[in-house]
Amino acid sequence: MLELRAVSRYFGGVRAVDGLDFTVNQGEIVGLIGPNGSGKSTIVNLVAGLFPLTQGEIRFNQQPLEDIPVHQRLQLGIARTFQNIRLFGQLSVWQNLWVAQNSPEDRSRRGFFSRWLGGQTQVREEIAQLLEFSALGHKQSELAANLSFGEQRRLELARALAARPKLLLLDEPAAGMNAEEIGQLRQRILDLRARGITIVLIEHVMELVMGVTDRIAVLNFGQKIAEGTPAQVQNDPAVKKAYLGGA
Amino acid sequence: MLDFLQTLSDGVLFGATYALIGIGFTLVFGVMHKINMAYAAASIGGAYAGLLVLKALATAPAWMVFLGAFLAGGVLGWVVYAACFHFIPLSSPLAPLMSTVGMLLLIDEVIVHLTAGMPQNYPAMFDDVMLRAGAFTLRGDLLLVFGVSLLCMIGLLALLYRTRLGLATRAVSQQAVAAQLCGIRVARVNALTFVITGLLGGVAGAMIGASVGTLSPLITMPLTVKGLIVTVIGGLGSIPGAIIAGLLVGGLENVFQLYRGVTERDLYVMLLLFAFLVFRPGGLFSRT
Amino acid sequence: MDFYFGLGQLIGVHTLLGLSAYIVLLTGQVSLAQAAFFAVGAYAAAMLTVLTGWHIVPALGVGSFLGAVTACAVGFPALRVKGLMLVIATLAFGEGVRLLFFNFDYQVAKGDLKVGPLGGEGFRQIRFFPEHGWTTGEVMLFIWVFVGGVMALLWWFDRSRYGAVLRAVGEDELAAQSVGLSLTAVKVSAMTVGGAIAGLGGGLYAHYTTHIEHASFNILMATFAIAYPIVGGLRNVFGTLAAVLFVQAFLVEGLRGLGDWRNLLFGALIVLSMNLRPHGLFGRRGA
Repeated sequence: MLELRAVSRYFGGVRAVDGLDFTVNQGEIVGLIGPNGSGKSTIVNLVAGLFPLTQGEIRFNQQPLEDIPVHQRLQLGIARTFQNIRLFGQLSVWQNLWVAQNSPEDRSRRGFFSRWLGGQTQVREEIAQLLEFSALGHKQSELAANLSFGEQRRLELARALAARPKLLLLDEPAAGMNAEEIGQLRQRILDLRARGITIVLIEHVMELVMGVTDRIAVLNFGQKIAEGTPAQVQNDPAVKKAYLGGA
Repeated sequence: MLDFLQTLSDGVLFGATYALIGIGFTLVFGVMHKINMAYAAASIGGAYAGLLVLKALATAPAWMVFLGAFLAGGVLGWVVYAACFHFIPLSSPLAPLMSTVGMLLLIDEVIVHLTAGMPQNYPAMFDDVMLRAGAFTLRGDLLLVFGVSLLCMIGLLALLYRTRLGLATRAVSQQAVAAQLCGIRVARVNALTFVITGLLGGVAGAMIGASVGTLSPLITMPLTVKGLIVTVIGGLGSIPGAIIAGLLVGGLENVFQLYRGVTERDLYVMLLLFAFLVFRPGGLFSRT
Repeated sequence: MDFYFGLGQLIGVHTLLGLSAYIVLLTGQVSLAQAAFFAVGAYAAAMLTVLTGWHIVPALGVGSFLGAVTACAVGFPALRVKGLMLVIATLAFGEGVRLLFFNFDYQVAKGDLKVGPLGGEGFRQIRFFPEHGWTTGEVMLFIWVFVGGVMALLWWFDRSRYGAVLRAVGEDELAAQSVGLSLTAVKVSAMTVGGAIAGLGGGLYAHYTTHIEHASFNILMATFAIAYPIVGGLRNVFGTLAAVLFVQAFLVEGLRGLGDWRNLLFGALIVLSMNLRPHGLFGRRGA
């Protein structure tokens, strides 16, 4: 589904991503781990279209993404969350989800006029589902800026889902969460896979990554140093040395 | 051809004042990431205040008036800081900008009222001096304008790059929070930036008055626009950019006037700005 | 009574000016060009009623349309210019338009008289209302029908998805793009709607003052345009209306107490209100 071929991204002298090959197949949950500065977030930003590639190619369902602007990549089915939460703080929870309904299905289902100028009634059910999924129903009128940290994280995820993605890039969704919240997140990720969404999970929280992914790629200094199942990666000596802690 | 060169050189010499105004805008932007829309008005206000020297001493020499303008500009700079930036939370995006616009209008109106709307004569120095090279002339007063402005620019660069205050200013412009954590009092640096740019502005206003011969509140708006154009063309935050852009705009403005007359001149300056915005929005020396 | 009707006309037209800046401000763009779109609408509508004898309503329609077109043309290059640079660019654009009208002559003979815009002297004899026997009160109501309509439209936008999208873009462009919103479409559309509103306001302005000139559409007017929504706050359209009432009431009262010094008040008022209530009279929505 997603293919990165010899992808490089340099920021001046810094090689954030260096000659990376990475593939994600449909229906997988793939983890991307590595020390800080290894290029994980840069990869998400490259796939999402925030920066151009210095070298290489990214393809989504065989289609090269190079000149496609950020907002159109969502039309193709790619959605992402942000490491530093970027919600629309001055909008309510409901509105945050509402403005994110930009997928091709939503566009074709309703006419232009009703989609932009119509009231809230038509989308009520769909947004209610999103709210239920992220347990935010009781806070739907609350301003996003007033939510607790955990609630904001859930809203970020729900907002990405509002776009009906086929591929979901999660950038450190568990950062700052306690054990209970991480357990709930794990369940939600599995639910999403059950709905047919392919997921790339960038994380530092090992219990989540090891517990929910089918496959993990390990990065260091912008390059892939290991790839395999969670068990394989955990025992790889190069990974241990770079990241997980030596013997 | 001679006309062209003459016009160009006169314009470039006068453009040094635009450079000072541009520096004022760009320095405040560089340090505080805000635009002080009242800057040109405060500069002209400082120039007017310099005239008070003549009220106190009717036979005072021109340089005393200029000095008065210089000092008054600094005071006004601090006043603008206090009214628009000290109390308003800087994180609020629109409020400081809007209040500087308010100050611009306020200063303009105060000048109009205190002078009953009448243009005031401004003293000049060396206005009878003409350096000639064949048919080409360098006006003495314009040379003074250029020279004084140049001195100020050198003084400013020395301040920024050779003093601790300058170092602190540059630190704040790059990372205000980190600077604060290092013990730099950001509010004081900001206030001093305003005072320093105010001093420069007072000189610029005085020089404008000196070379034109009169001061009128009608020039504050066009000067504001021109100063901002210079700042943008030079690159927001770049002092060398403002200097070069100021001289460029001064020279070109005069040339436009030579070929297309006064009424159309400003339109061409606008077009110059738009050309830059389209082809080089970062300006001559963009700070990325 | 006529005095109050005149004030009512002024407040109505200024509200339109403020609302034209309001919708653009929602997307995070600070535009000092609204006075320019206002001017375009003023000259266009006035030329149609005076030079070609049109009725005011279609003339206003054309004025509004031309304001929108101009704004749309500005909207695209404005995308390339970020933040404070946009303020400068729109300021320069506004001055450029003013200078164009300063140089604009188009006179037509009407009987013995020559009518039409005449460069620096401006455009006099815009006498549609007096010629058709409208009273001051009727003109005021006419203006307020439009103000009411525009406020209702913007109120509707605010409650619709479009309004939430405008504010989302204004708050965080990166996040907005990432959820699939086209910044170009949102920002240019807001600018265009703002231009339409300004053009409408300009047309009404030209007809109630009967005389327009380039100097009216200066930086001061551009400042009024953004001052109203900023001072009133961007929570909803009533903030802008309240700010117009607030400012104009002060200026009118100032006329009594301070006479000629009242213009001083506007600047001082802005500085004061920004210090006391930096997020507007009604403040922000939360936090």
